[in-house]
Amino acid sequence: MRTHPWATEASVRETWVVGAATNRFGKMPETAREAASRVALEAIDASGLSPSDIDYTFVANCFGIAEHQAHLGPLINTALGIPDVPSCGVESACSSSSAGLHEAFVHVAGGFSDAVLVVGAEKLSHLDTLSATSYFAIGADYPFETRNGATFPGLYATLASAHKKRFGTTSEATGAVAVKNHWNAARNPHAHFQKELGLATYLASPVIASPFRLFDCCPFSDGASALVIAARETVRSTPNEPLIVRASARSGSIADMHDRPSLTGLPASRLAADKAFRQAKIERSQVDFLEVHDCFTIAELFALEDMGFFPAGDAAAAELDGSTAHDGKLPVNPSGGLKAKGHPVSATGAAQVVEVFEQFNHRAGGRQVPRVETALTHNVGATGGSCSVHIFGHR
Amino acid sequence: MSDPVTTVPHSIADYYQGIEQENRLRGYRSACGFVTATWGLVCPQCGRRDLAEVDLSGRGKVVGFTIQNVPSDRFVNDAPYAYVVVELDEGGRVTGWMPSARAEGSVSIGDRVRRVATGRPGVAFERELGPPTSG
Ligand SMILES: [Zn+2]
Repeated sequence: MRTHPWATEASVRETWVVGAATNRFGKMPETAREAASRVALEAIDASGLSPSDIDYTFVANCFGIAEHQAHLGPLINTALGIPDVPSCGVESACSSSSAGLHEAFVHVAGGFSDAVLVVGAEKLSHLDTLSATSYFAIGADYPFETRNGATFPGLYATLASAHKKRFGTTSEATGAVAVKNHWNAARNPHAHFQKELGLATYLASPVIASPFRLFDCCPFSDGASALVIAARETVRSTPNEPLIVRASARSGSIADMHDRPSLTGLPASRLAADKAFRQAKIERSQVDFLEVHDCFTIAELFALEDMGFFPAGDAAAAELDGSTAHDGKLPVNPSGGLKAKGHPVSATGAAQVVEVFEQFNHRAGGRQVPRVETALTHNVGATGGSCSVHIFGHR
Repeated sequence: MSDPVTTVPHSIADYYQGIEQENRLRGYRSACGFVTATWGLVCPQCGRRDLAEVDLSGRGKVVGFTIQNVPSDRFVNDAPYAYVVVELDEGGRVTGWMPSARAEGSVSIGDRVRRVATGRPGVAFERELGPPTSG
């Protein structure tokens, strides 16, 4: 496996995110296909390009089978009036659309395409909770995890038990993550939850999978998000402030968390972040804000610790003292995160980048972070068998 | 005359048959010390291919757990129950469920457990008799 920051650095073209759009997460009346096409057109419009400028489309839609629909790419491209444009699906569980962004980056930076559309969409709200829970679990190892009783919350709850035992992580610390992310989501018109959450309500919510209460868990959300990626040298003008892709890194790790040496974090996050910081040639301290994968409250602590923003066990204190608030020292999940903005699995990774786009364009309203020179997005597939880390810079 | 490299013969179907019909927990051991029940062809820790098939003891201690009140479809009539990661006495970790761990406090990290045949799908554990040993 190559360990170089860029495989062939000399030939990498500077690549921008020039368009980004998302819909309101929650319950969509329309199909993933319709929502994906709509946000894709919005993202293209935001880029200043037209659909005919798109060279390739990467589509993420993990649970299309729940809608009896696969092969979404040609349907979206046809709806966009570009039926001849090639497309393919990208599946990496909850990190599917950030994997799509990485593939788009490889295409554009490598010179194979000038402009690429990335779109992620999911619709599960027509399923009952049991079916939705079962769909979510298919990202786990069926014979060796799911068949032994694991649900998706159960797997992260098992990791949480080990983190709590080792570091004394309290319910107040995980509660602080939930309260902060709901506060941010209440100021995000695209968020699933638009209500602030008090610690007392968090603590009183029913236990789903100990130690997780209801408000430790992200909701089942429908949603769609899209990005347009283009080579700088091909962009003549663009109506919004673009994001310069400073790093596009992914990592894997041993698929089953129980086969890894430790249960107190996700090694793929560390590996992907190390790779990303080598690519971007910057330090952790230069990152102004982060969108991280908080499918459960504990996962926000994992992200901050695994990626090296805090030593293991120390992220809880930063959550409790307000450092991670939108106006804190290191804002984390100003969008509300998966936890409160919602987690339409395949739309999530792209939606994190939409938030960075809105922040860089100073359109984030009451959740606007103060500094927008450098931002990082972190998106995990299942229990960390996959992880994407992107770093974006201001022009 | 014998080939020094023995590949693991077991399949996922054999693993199922082991736990559901033969009261065995089949797995493999790599020369680096990596032990697991998870199916594979090459050791994910060291890259060796000479994996030795072993019957795992099913005895060890809990290193992570949850008590699930909301189950997946296969366990819909079993909730609440614990899902556990167990570090085996011979090294390596496996997962399973504990049908008898139905309430908060009924299982803790460090508890000694052993595999139990339930006639149900999946690997099941129960607490070993006697006082729990510490961590
Ligand atoms: Zn090995």
